[in-house]
Amino acid sequence: MLKINNLHVSVDDGQKPILTGLSLEVPKGEVHAIMGPNGAGKSTLSYALTGRDGYEITDGTVTLDGKDLLDMEPEERAAAGVFLSFQYPLEIPGVPTMTFLKTALNAQRKARGEEEMKAPEFLKTARALAAELKMKPEMLKRPLNVGFSGGEKKRMEIFQMMMMEPSFIVMDETDSGLDVDALRIVADGVNKLRSPDRGMLIITHYQRLLDYIVPDRVHVLANGGIAASGDAEFAKKLEREGYDAYAA
Amino acid sequence: MLHKLPNRRDEAWKWSDVSRVVSDDAKGAETAAPLQIFVPEGVTVTRTDGETAANDTTLLKLVSEYAGQVWNIVVPDGLASENPIQIEGLTHGHAQISLTIGKGAKIQLVEHYDGQAGAFVNSHMNIKLGETAVLDRVIVQTDPEDCVRIATTHVTAWANSEIRQHTLAFGGKLSRLETRMAGMGDAVKATINGAYLLDGKRHCDMTSYIDLACPNGHIRQSVKGVTAGKSRGVFQGKFHVRRPAQHTDAEMRHDSIMLSDTSEIRSKPELEIYADDVACAHGNTIGALDESALFYMRQRGIPLAQARAILTEAFLGSVFDTLEDEVMRESLLDKLRGWLA
Repeated sequence: MLKINNLHVSVDDGQKPILTGLSLEVPKGEVHAIMGPNGAGKSTLSYALTGRDGYEITDGTVTLDGKDLLDMEPEERAAAGVFLSFQYPLEIPGVPTMTFLKTALNAQRKARGEEEMKAPEFLKTARALAAELKMKPEMLKRPLNVGFSGGEKKRMEIFQMMMMEPSFIVMDETDSGLDVDALRIVADGVNKLRSPDRGMLIITHYQRLLDYIVPDRVHVLANGGIAASGDAEFAKKLEREGYDAYAA
Repeated sequence: MLHKLPNRRDEAWKWSDVSRVVSDDAKGAETAAPLQIFVPEGVTVTRTDGETAANDTTLLKLVSEYAGQVWNIVVPDGLASENPIQIEGLTHGHAQISLTIGKGAKIQLVEHYDGQAGAFVNSHMNIKLGETAVLDRVIVQTDPEDCVRIATTHVTAWANSEIRQHTLAFGGKLSRLETRMAGMGDAVKATINGAYLLDGKRHCDMTSYIDLACPNGHIRQSVKGVTAGKSRGVFQGKFHVRRPAQHTDAEMRHDSIMLSDTSEIRSKPELEIYADDVACAHGNTIGALDESALFYMRQRGIPLAQARAILTEAFLGSVFDTLEDEVMRESLLDKLRGWLA
């Protein structure tokens, strides 16, 4: 279970408070959606959970299965099972996708005291998953995300997610830049990862993605915290009525 | 040493003040370097007296005075060897080398600059590239931090010849690796690439001057560097395209990353063009590792130090993409990784 309690996050060297007392619990096996107007702090939440520099935690706690995440470096959080699917996945020139993935996967395994995955097993798994996501095999040889379209980059995020089998997934605006076909492929991938052992937090501005990945709970992020919560139907109401009712 | 060494008042040496770092008691200041030259079958090495000219530079005068006889390496016309010429022993002192590559010959030259502690090494090499000759030159510099190294090369390239030069340098107390090339025939080709990796108080200066007097020259230069600690990287590059050198196609790039706030990078890219139908460009960047990319990699579980090393290797490694010898390329990348680890 991911447990966020009274989280306060500031940016600009701690000068600008963005989240001011956010509390949220995502039990194992559940998919929760966070919706909210632009500038509400949705991306701030994803970066605070994953430990990006510049997002200063001034108060509150975050634990995953009882482990204090805020005390960990970003790579330690990854090894603990936290995966962030980026809104804008980064291009890493000069590093072939397969090399990157194998390095990352084995760094996580090493940090957990597990045996590293050998090359043949890794290749077999990667090729099978790539086929499942309808990715061209040559994409895996190219430098990570370099020259990929927006849709290809998002698919690559899902691919990495499926390779790493994290215990908690944060998806930041995964639907942006996707056409309907790509959206369906991405959603299929995510739905396959739904499991009783895994929690997910889907951050999205629009309800569209939630037609394909149906959440257990929907929360509105406004005024620095969770302003309202409901079930999957609640997302449709938000889409119809907008966020004005929750604005400051 | 009675001669006046280059100092910061000389424009070409303003960031590499030799006079400040070399004293008369430096190891090798007044001796010849104990050179060892290994050549493949068919290539000859002889010793002859050198010649001096009134307008020789100070460093060349020192070479004439202390290096003893010139080492002459001759690659006969048409010889194509799989095995390289190797030059070792540039550990201290002065050396003068002449390499003549005959028409249509194809050869690799590997130089290892591994100086002794506290040494001064000053070498001059003259390379004559005959028509359609091809030279693959690899320089690996792994001097200790208190070694001063000046390595100057003059290349004379005749029609349709090609030089591909790849340098991997780790600097020293002061290192100046200088390549001066004169394109004397039609359609000469040159790749002059290099990477420098500096830490501590190391200094490395990659200077080049490409002088084109004939048409259809094709020049590609990419120098990349990273500086950590209080080190200093210097790049000076100049393309001089004379009036007859029409249809020259020349690109110069210097890209560098500062890994510390206390390191220093000095860069002077120059184009001097008198021909009116040419494509010449230069570019220069100095930056830091991409913080967003680092975070992305860490989010995937790669520890910070390893993420930095991967990004740095990817950044630098591309200068060796043009090195055809895969085994050599891998060995250079290994040395680079060794530094990053």
